[in-house]
Amino acid sequence: MTIPTEDRPLAREDHAHQEVHYSTCYMCACRCGIKVTTQDGALRFIQGTREHPINQGVLCAKGSAGIMKQLSPAKLRKPLRRRAGSERGANEFDEIEWEEALAIVEARLAHIRRTDPKRLAFFTGRDQMQALTGLWAQQFGTPNWAAHGGFCSVNMAAAGLYSIGYSFWEFGAPDWDRAKYFVMWGVAEDHSSNPIKIGLDKLKRRGAKFVSINPIRTGYSAIADDWIPIRPGTDGLLALAIVHVLLTEGSIDFEFLARYTNAPWLVIQAPGTAGDGLFARSDDGTPLVWDEGEGRIVAGITAQSQPSLFAQCTLADGRQARSVLALAAERYLDSQYAPEVVAAACGVPAATIRRLAREMAQVAFRETIELPIAWTDAWGRKHDKVVGRPVAMYAMRGISAHSNGFQTCRALHLIQMLLGALDGPGNFRARAPYPKPIPPQLRPNNVAAKANTPLARPPLGFPMGPEDLALDADGRALRIDKAYTWEAPLASHGLMHMVIANAAAGDPYPIDTLMLFMANMAWNSSMNTTGTRSMLAAKHDDGSYKIPFVIVADAFASETVAFADLVLPDTTYLERFDAISLLDRPISEPDAAADAIRHPIIALDRDVRPWQDVLVELAGRLGFPAFTKDDGTRKFAGYEDFIVRFERAPGIGFLAGWRGTDGKRSLVGAPNPGQWQAYKDNKAFFQFHLPDTIKWHRYANLGYLEFAKKVGFVGAVEPIVMQIYSEPLQKFRLAGQGLYDGPRPTDPADRARLTKYFDPLPFWYSPLEMQVTNGDAYPLHALTQRPMMMYHSWDAQNAWLRQIIADNAIYVNVATAAALGLADGDWAWVTSHTGQLRRRMRTMEGVEPNTVWTWNAIGKQSGAWGLAPDAPEATSGFLLNHLIAEHLPGSTPSGRRLTNSDPITGQAAWFDLRVRITRCVDGEEGIEPMFDTLASLPGAAPTVAALDWPAAPIPLEGTR
Amino acid sequence: MKPAFSVLLFTVLSGAGLGALAIIALLDLAALVGMIAPLAPPRLQARAAAIALLLVVAGLCASTLHLANPKNAWRSWTRWRTSWLSREAVLSLAFMPVAVGLVACWWWDVAPTMRVLFAVATLLLAWMILVCTAMIYASLKPIRQWHTRHVPANFLLYGHASGALLVVVVLRSDGYEAASLVPLVWLVWLLFVAAAIGKLLYWRFLRSDKGAITLEQAIGVPRGVRPPPTPDAPASIMAARLFDMGHAGGTFLTREFVINVAARNRTWIVVLMWSFGFVLPMVWLALGLARWQGAVLAMLACMIGMLAERWLFFADARHTVRLYHGEPTT
Amino acid sequence: MKLGLVIDLDTCVGCQACATACKEWNGASAISGPLADLDPYGADPSGVWFNRVRHYEVGAYPASKTVNFPMSCLHCEDAACVTVCPTGASYKRADGIVLVDQDKCMGCNLCAWACPYGARELDEVSGCMKKCTLCVDRVYDERLPVDERQPACVLACPTHARHFGDFDDPMSAVSILSAERGGFGLLEQLDYKPVNRYLPPRAVPVVAMDADAQEAERVTPLAALSRLMARARDALSR
Ligand SMILES: Nc1nc2c(c(=O)[nH]1)N[C@H]1C(S)=C(S)[C@@H](COP(=O)(O)OP(=O)(O)OC[C@H]3O[C@@H](n4cnc5c(=O)[nH]c(N)nc54)[C@H](O)[C@@H]3O)O[C@H]1N2
Ligand SMILES: Nc1nc2c(c(=O)[nH]1)N[C@H]1C(S)=C(S)[C@@H](COP(=O)(O)OP(=O)(O)OC[C@H]3O[C@@H](n4cnc5c(=O)[nH]c(N)nc54)[C@H](O)[C@@H]3O)O[C@H]1N2
Ligand code: SF4
Ligand code: SF4
Ligand code: SF4
Ligand code: SF4
Ligand code: SF4
Ligand SMILES: [Mo]
Repeated sequence: MTIPTEDRPLAREDHAHQEVHYSTCYMCACRCGIKVTTQDGALRFIQGTREHPINQGVLCAKGSAGIMKQLSPAKLRKPLRRRAGSERGANEFDEIEWEEALAIVEARLAHIRRTDPKRLAFFTGRDQMQALTGLWAQQFGTPNWAAHGGFCSVNMAAAGLYSIGYSFWEFGAPDWDRAKYFVMWGVAEDHSSNPIKIGLDKLKRRGAKFVSINPIRTGYSAIADDWIPIRPGTDGLLALAIVHVLLTEGSIDFEFLARYTNAPWLVIQAPGTAGDGLFARSDDGTPLVWDEGEGRIVAGITAQSQPSLFAQCTLADGRQARSVLALAAERYLDSQYAPEVVAAACGVPAATIRRLAREMAQVAFRETIELPIAWTDAWGRKHDKVVGRPVAMYAMRGISAHSNGFQTCRALHLIQMLLGALDGPGNFRARAPYPKPIPPQLRPNNVAAKANTPLARPPLGFPMGPEDLALDADGRALRIDKAYTWEAPLASHGLMHMVIANAAAGDPYPIDTLMLFMANMAWNSSMNTTGTRSMLAAKHDDGSYKIPFVIVADAFASETVAFADLVLPDTTYLERFDAISLLDRPISEPDAAADAIRHPIIALDRDVRPWQDVLVELAGRLGFPAFTKDDGTRKFAGYEDFIVRFERAPGIGFLAGWRGTDGKRSLVGAPNPGQWQAYKDNKAFFQFHLPDTIKWHRYANLGYLEFAKKVGFVGAVEPIVMQIYSEPLQKFRLAGQGLYDGPRPTDPADRARLTKYFDPLPFWYSPLEMQVTNGDAYPLHALTQRPMMMYHSWDAQNAWLRQIIADNAIYVNVATAAALGLADGDWAWVTSHTGQLRRRMRTMEGVEPNTVWTWNAIGKQSGAWGLAPDAPEATSGFLLNHLIAEHLPGSTPSGRRLTNSDPITGQAAWFDLRVRITRCVDGEEGIEPMFDTLASLPGAAPTVAALDWPAAPIPLEGTR
Repeated sequence: MKPAFSVLLFTVLSGAGLGALAIIALLDLAALVGMIAPLAPPRLQARAAAIALLLVVAGLCASTLHLANPKNAWRSWTRWRTSWLSREAVLSLAFMPVAVGLVACWWWDVAPTMRVLFAVATLLLAWMILVCTAMIYASLKPIRQWHTRHVPANFLLYGHASGALLVVVVLRSDGYEAASLVPLVWLVWLLFVAAAIGKLLYWRFLRSDKGAITLEQAIGVPRGVRPPPTPDAPASIMAARLFDMGHAGGTFLTREFVINVAARNRTWIVVLMWSFGFVLPMVWLALGLARWQGAVLAMLACMIGMLAERWLFFADARHTVRLYHGEPTT
Repeated sequence: MKLGLVIDLDTCVGCQACATACKEWNGASAISGPLADLDPYGADPSGVWFNRVRHYEVGAYPASKTVNFPMSCLHCEDAACVTVCPTGASYKRADGIVLVDQDKCMGCNLCAWACPYGARELDEVSGCMKKCTLCVDRVYDERLPVDERQPACVLACPTHARHFGDFDDPMSAVSILSAERGGFGLLEQLDYKPVNRYLPPRAVPVVAMDADAQEAERVTPLAALSRLMARARDALSR
């Protein structure tokens, strides 16, 4: 039987009182388009913008919980000054007026800028406005600026930009519509949160194969067709074993290698001399190759030339030279890279490794895609079609958060180059304004700061060799984070994770003011969190703080706010203007350059100000040249005005859409006063679709390169030749060997590191912490993963999201736990070389047996984030960071502590952590470590028994 | 299932009340047609019946305590066509005047015909209500421990056993001499033995996993929700386990369905049920219905024992929702 | 009509977007909202959700699969939750949607007991039973853009693992999808005839090696190198 049915009248949605606004989500860095419905000015519904290039209408859990972010009790309300006599960290503040707050900052910064600009350290975390903060720092004249990239994924960014001209991190995306074989390395969520999810569905609908290489099977890996539980830190080995198989099988794209990579370039073979391992070049610096056709060495490549991939020849000066591919093939064909040899270390069976390699080859070379699109390459060759080798890869922090991440990521790019699977149909493709020359033609500032003068170059850039390091005359670091020193030469995102430790130690020099924007450095974004907190509060014998002044610009009551001397409260993403700019981390998709905006949708109910406005205000007060007229008066009324009128180069500003006085120009054009409105009218984003002919193989697509030059994406119309062999790395290595004619390190520790790690060809080495810790004492790898419904520390304040996850366990493989005598739910000690913590342990099947893990940033300090002191986040949630040290164990013979980072880029090595797990003796319960409960902030909202949303009773409008 | 005290109280009190009324009505009819000697003088019967009726009313009041929105309780009279709970509500409503009528008949010792009419109506309604109450549980397919004929059978038995005891207790404390109660006492013995057997049979039924559903079935492992079978891990032996509940704290579902009773506590309740619910009352009977204080204590003990029985009835019920919260089988 | 959802377990990554979007839409919906959230910033936050996403593991390492499993009302054809309801608050519409009339519910929980799937949750603030409405106030709202007349969870789902439609119409997208992919209903043995369909994971795609793509014989590195150089020569001379 089926039951009787009846229909009854129903109340309906009250559209009469509703308004619709379009903006950009800011619940994470993915930057999806949102359609915000308000009812009588209050938030009713936030959904995805159907037309938006990033999320195409969908919205993740965080985005859908945006209303609860706006309602958060943790919202800061007014500028705060640390109460006289109270200590940093106690969270005792007095509310002050903005005028007073700004006066304090102005006076302090003006003095610093007048005397010694580098004594201001300005570091930013999860922000999406590095173009502005970078400009601000450069104008201030301090080299001490960076965003979170150093502890995030600079390994991916740098490896990509030094190898293929774009990168896994932010500057590229898989061709979800055409890839037939997709390999994901070490990704749980990524910045491209929604695009990846949308993409995985597309792959599966088309029957493409999805391989996930990941020690843990959750989220994306849960739906992978092929889950490869690898042992953490060994992906480089696995990748090079795949390279080994491809080379043995001869399954590589010779034509691609000869045309688009430096495979044929001749490398000087003169061991022990200055030129060794550098490219043989003509007098004008053009790389030399052996031309099969002419049977001689020629400079550069033309449409006609037939460069030899396996050249071995004698140069005019009598020195020997070999082509890049000859060197590479020799290395990777060696049996040390045979699957059978690496299998044990990776925990991946040899047969599986061979299968992966052969499946990639099969799809790349026998299931090619051809698009009937004519294009011309940079050498003038006409092609009547675009050929795609539909193997796509994507990788993120599973690769980058290890101290061998840079070289491992290079190894992944090597596979892509061998397969000729880059920026073609079905490949990993570039997102405008990328690809860029390799590396991008932008050197980091490396001259000492001068009083009241902007830096000639931006603080961050891409060194070509030792001469580009940021060292003073006697070899000491110019930057507080020691980026661009011998310890981290290619630190193109800085080393934010070292700032507090170095500043507290006055090494390389003491600073005056630490200005943190949007980074929870006293908690989840620091290694050795407990230590970092004491450093923030550390004092000299005379009782003065080692870091004299700390300014925190935050929107919420985070753990870091407690350590501020001055708190500058920010607005939420629904209350301010923002530009998501092409000059920053772009939201472009491979087929279209794109940017977007935010604009105030909810009226302010607190005495807070958008940080962007504060920066522009300060820039005016401090008289930065770019922000003031010749007569010293302000150039810009505020951020809103700045975005419209500021031009980095003629016609190029923060927003690329609706430029030109008539608002009809795209990408380049005069400032347009109506630009904000134009964005609002166009659902808050701008998109410039590339014509088919310039969409593919952009590194060598003449039409594209000409276009890119015109719109300022690249400086010159030249092919972007991919670098299998990296000359900048070799230069540093020569410096290490004492052979470089240019700066050379004196400390033997640096020499050894440069010589070992700066291999111009990708190679694998055991992550640094594992090299120095005792594998028997700490047998397990300890990792964290992003929960899909939580953004770092900042979603615990979200009444809906915290109902889904409010604490985190440590997950252990069922068999491993059994072997350790642990049962599901037992209390366990997790011990690393720096410390130990206590937490309940849960068992699971889907994790590699040598790996334990937990969710990232769930644990909170009691009293933070507007939560009750006994909130589970504080009483049973925990941070793995307590076990991760910012320095490697031990010190160099010269007594230096080395940073726990990638020796090449300075990327924080979060995932190198090794631990042991032991069962707690009965009665040992409760989490360790625990922290004091924070005092509640002035005007903090009282705890409520029930959530009051929607505040107003829902008006009924008629019935149906 | 969560044993909500108000519900335990309701089913136990009204069960006993209805059982008692059914018993007196039945015996009175038997006496009227001359099958047996009258149980007791009409006025005594009226008093006993009135007290039983009070228990029923008390039970109904208790039941409303467990409503989250009692102001709509009156609506529960509307869906008697499909809902056992509604039927129970409707019949209870009808039952009140009828039962009161019967009490009146005895009190004023009215003409037998009237008395027969009311007795029959009371008897039938009492039985129907007992069945309805039982069917509220027995009709729930998601709870295999309830979805069985054992449930109505047992509810009838417990109702009548505790009800019969109630009658004895009331008459006795009313000073009615023990000797004339002997036949009724035999009936009580009979009913309690039957009830005990009923309980044991029910427990045997619980132990069999007949109709049990597994977590694997619940999430569709047999329908292909599993990794591709490999030689060493064929589909048949693929076990499923909960990895994460998807919510941090408790929810309505965990509070209502996912209560886990420690085996030790359960044993105590079982002991309580047998000792208070069965042994103590029997002892009192065996002691020849000593004194009215004894009577009251025996009844109290019985009620406590019955509450324990009802608590077990809930605690032992495993709803399919528990599968989705990680329980391997119902 | 038989309106319901298809949920694709092959693409569900367990992101909780559907659950949250549901909470957001229905929390302020005129027919189901507000949805209680108790102790929202305290020790035991707990609220009413119409859709909960759970996570399971099937099989043993390394042949184990993590299964993300969203559950909301399946709008059963034989919805005992409706027949057991004494007040008539619970009812089934002609289009198959099962609703609770908030003005009639007395909060007795019986319907929740009768639901095998835990799709009903009592709102402790209003004292009334609440459940998935299949977003009846979206799907029929002709003042919404046509492509937005979909349940909030379906619109939000980033992997498009959720589809809404009429299972009575054999030609509807959901009917076809379910037929093609072997969609099944939960706990069918209880015979509630649930309308929502779950799609099991697709078969793993096989990359078929071409017949002539034999595995190259393993030789010494040197031999392999010369073999490679030979290949390069004729590849580039072409
Ligand atoms: N929901 C949500 N989204 C976010 C964020 C968030 O906090 N929440 N944070 C944003 C930020 S700042 C970033 S940087 C991105 C990061 O996005 P992801 O790169 O996804 O970062 P993780 O969550 O750390 O995931 C790392 C993955 O690598 C795996 N892994 C660890 N070690 C290894 C290894 O040695 N080899 C392999 N193959 N895998 C390994 C881990 O199991 C994990 O699955 O996410 C962004 N998006
Ligand atoms: N163990 C472990 N540690 C890690 C990682 C890991 O994988 N494992 N991941 C690392 C990575 S990749 C990263 S990127 C970092 C991220 O760590 P953080 O950069 O610290 O990021 P959040 O935790 O999001 O903190 C950002 C701060 O920004 C504030 N905020 C949020 N919205 C706004 C706003 O609109 N305006 C302002 N002014 N402030 C706002 C928040 O209140 C919070 O205090 O964590 C790192 N730490
Ligand atoms: S991924 Fe989610 S949180 Fe991040 S921007 Fe998009 S919708 Fe917002
Ligand atoms: S939104 Fe989609 S992918 Fe995410 S949990 Fe729900 S159904 Fe699964
Ligand atoms: S899923 Fe539960 S609530 Fe929904 S119709 Fe079926 S039985 Fe009723
Ligand atoms: S709780 Fe409400 S809807 Fe459910 S059965 Fe009782 S009255 Fe009906
Ligand atoms: S259909 Fe609507 S009510 Fe039902 S789960 Fe989806 S969003 Fe919630
Ligand atoms: Mo990051």
